[in-house]
Amino acid sequence: MRYILRQIAVTFTSFAFLYVLIGGLSFLVFPDPSHGGLRDFQVAERTLFMTVPKYVLLGRSVLDTPDPKVLIVGASNTAVGFIQKLIQSKLACGKVSNLAMGGANISEAAQIIDLVRETQSSPGAAPNTFVIGVWYGMFADSDIRFADPDRNRGESDLDIEKYRYGFYRRTANGPVAVLPSKWLDAGVMAIRPLLLVEKVAREARTGINLLLTGRRSAQRTEVEREAAVMSEQDKKKALEYWQESMGFKGAISETQFNLLRSTVASLLDSGERVVLVDLPIPSWHRDASPYQPGYEQKLQELSGQFKERSNFISISMSDLDGDLDYSDEVHAKRHLANVWSERLASVLSSFACQEKTNKPKVSSRAPEQATAASSDH
Amino acid sequence: MSLTSPLFFAFLAGVILAYHISESVRYRRLVLGFGNAIFIASYLTDYIQILPLLAFLLLGYACVSILSVWKSSLALGLAVLGVLACYVFLKRFSFFDDLGRLPFPYLTIGLSYILFRILHIMVDVHSGDLEERIGPTAFFRYTCNFLCFVSGPIQRYQDFRAADGIAVVKLDAETVFQAFSRVVAGYAKFVIIAAVAEYAFSFLKPQLLQAGDPSFAKLCMLYAATASLYTVYLYYNFSGYMDIVLGSGFLLGQALPENFDKPFSARSFLEFWQRWHMTLSQWFKFYLFNPLVMLLMSCFPAPALTAYLGVFAFFITFLVMGVWHGTTAVFVVYGLLMGAGASINKLWQVACADRLGKKRYRTMTETLGYVYFARGVTISYFVLALTCLWTPELSDFTRLIGRLGPAGMSAAFAGIALAFGLFWWLADQIAPHLTAPAFLANARDSLVGRNLTLASQMMVIVAVTALLHKSPDFVYKAF
Repeated sequence: MRYILRQIAVTFTSFAFLYVLIGGLSFLVFPDPSHGGLRDFQVAERTLFMTVPKYVLLGRSVLDTPDPKVLIVGASNTAVGFIQKLIQSKLACGKVSNLAMGGANISEAAQIIDLVRETQSSPGAAPNTFVIGVWYGMFADSDIRFADPDRNRGESDLDIEKYRYGFYRRTANGPVAVLPSKWLDAGVMAIRPLLLVEKVAREARTGINLLLTGRRSAQRTEVEREAAVMSEQDKKKALEYWQESMGFKGAISETQFNLLRSTVASLLDSGERVVLVDLPIPSWHRDASPYQPGYEQKLQELSGQFKERSNFISISMSDLDGDLDYSDEVHAKRHLANVWSERLASVLSSFACQEKTNKPKVSSRAPEQATAASSDH
Repeated sequence: MSLTSPLFFAFLAGVILAYHISESVRYRRLVLGFGNAIFIASYLTDYIQILPLLAFLLLGYACVSILSVWKSSLALGLAVLGVLACYVFLKRFSFFDDLGRLPFPYLTIGLSYILFRILHIMVDVHSGDLEERIGPTAFFRYTCNFLCFVSGPIQRYQDFRAADGIAVVKLDAETVFQAFSRVVAGYAKFVIIAAVAEYAFSFLKPQLLQAGDPSFAKLCMLYAATASLYTVYLYYNFSGYMDIVLGSGFLLGQALPENFDKPFSARSFLEFWQRWHMTLSQWFKFYLFNPLVMLLMSCFPAPALTAYLGVFAFFITFLVMGVWHGTTAVFVVYGLLMGAGASINKLWQVACADRLGKKRYRTMTETLGYVYFARGVTISYFVLALTCLWTPELSDFTRLIGRLGPAGMSAAFAGIALAFGLFWWLADQIAPHLTAPAFLANARDSLVGRNLTLASQMMVIVAVTALLHKSPDFVYKAF
């Protein structure tokens, strides 16, 4: 017995020593990401958190300040299209964060909103302005959207991060917090050694990619995206991909629309501001997709439902649909992203920056910049 | 209770500590008995789920008790038939759907291994190899030993009894460290290598099985890669599990039998099965192959036939062993492939020995080219046969084989054999040169060095578990 107890003590002491050592090292390499970290969640790769879902979940305490905030949520086209730095430079009245997540559906966007609100405990904090970027591709049920073999069906990237370190536990009704949000930073502190080991593993993978392919990752660079032109074959494949991603149902999910409605209503009821952005896609895609007409109709209904609320505004940027302005079927090229960002900043400065707004309830297109991007029109 | 769950660690630590509180044999048997009961109960959500298993155990114990007083062949035959029929019914083999099913879900984990243990006791009691009268609590501790419950190793009752509440492994600082190292190494295999292989396998499998029209070369490569990854996953998952079980056994003073002995270095299919799932192979050797050969030789006593009777017995033995792995029709195919592999291997040995003479044949098998060729072919055959385990529906299996055709299967077979043969050749060339400098070896082997090494393995295990985010499951649990 004494040999077993002694070995247990030695093993755990060695483990604790190593754990603390690596934890200490993580502070040298990546000093305190949660408070001193970047506000642009899209550059998560440069932080200890590595990915946007991890940064949003573990690094969100950076948003727990009393300043007015503009929080952009949505999918990858929101991430690419709304450039945090550009919008921030044109908006003096609040701090801008882009929390959009690749592959997000409405459920995941709602999860992001919940996580942010859960972490904000500063007394007397100014209301948030949530910018929700939507397009038809986000209205797929989670069971369909999140069905990769390496996850439990229906679990979003955020859910995976929630379970990964035991901060949440899995239940039949979804994740339930084990760690109260006020202990988030302490929890993150405790797992820093694991984050560093994971970071090293990811960097090693990047190094191997670089060695084998001459590229850091399979993702295209800005220059490559800017030069991209979709062939007819690419367009056909893209349409097939979205048919599959939407579950071959031929219609967008009613459940996801209802969730968007209830999320917006809940935000408005609690005094937050909401900017609902109908994101454009290239005209060929819009015209060929069987989902677009239903989506447009439902979004119009939803916008109409909230148009009387003074803390709500919806924007449509459907005029920015030039085929050549997109690097694929949904993602705006950099020059168009500048236009998207400027247009959003312009709307925000007249909406989020006013104490009391007497704004037009629905803005179909924003000012002067509208035509600048459409290169093939 | 999943092996990777914190609950299992707590349970294991509790049993080990409770076991060592007293050296009283009765007390220790009590601890082990309770440990087994708690372990099994962890799989239940309703008490009714345990009833079929209890009935199976009761039937087994009744048979053993009857055989210990009535040692006739008829009694043994009836007992074996009764126990097998009960097993087949409870295991829900799809071929016996007409037998009906119990109208509620129940526990089937561990049933196969309990069957092996019960049959072993019955045969040994009948033959007189086991003369001891087995009490019900000893029977329970033996058949439901929590360390071996899910998937073996299959220990002989005589060996179990020698360590039942008696520490046959003397624990000192070195033994305890080795036991800890074995458990940690097991987790490293289970959580890192097997889980990464499964991760890659689960990405490739849908690409392979989904309808599409990849080029012939791509299809063959995809198949070869998927099948090889599954084999790596299966081996490291199972052998990692065994390391955890055996290491934990040491801490409970038990020396459980080894189940693996570098199977991928085997030079023939028959040798492979002497190295892979060894306790299962030995069980089948003692309780099916040997009696079958004896029976055949008594029916066909001509010496010229002896070797061919062996070939036939191998075929039957491996066929049954293959079918045992699953309950659907594709496992019959698996059994046929196993039987074919074993009997072709035996025929090859007989033919070569006849043609070349035993000495020249042995010399040939020692040549460098033959060694790596034989290793490659052996592994490749096993890898392809395992396809049955990851396409458990016969329709999926036949569709895949149909798409590959004879040419595709041959190309995949050759590709895997070449890759494994080359890998082993390279490994054997490089391994002797991989020695650490003396000062590093000394530092590594010091008390601090080896415990830090152990701790760093644990660190990597925790990090990889977090990285892969899905707890790996034990693959043999399903068999």
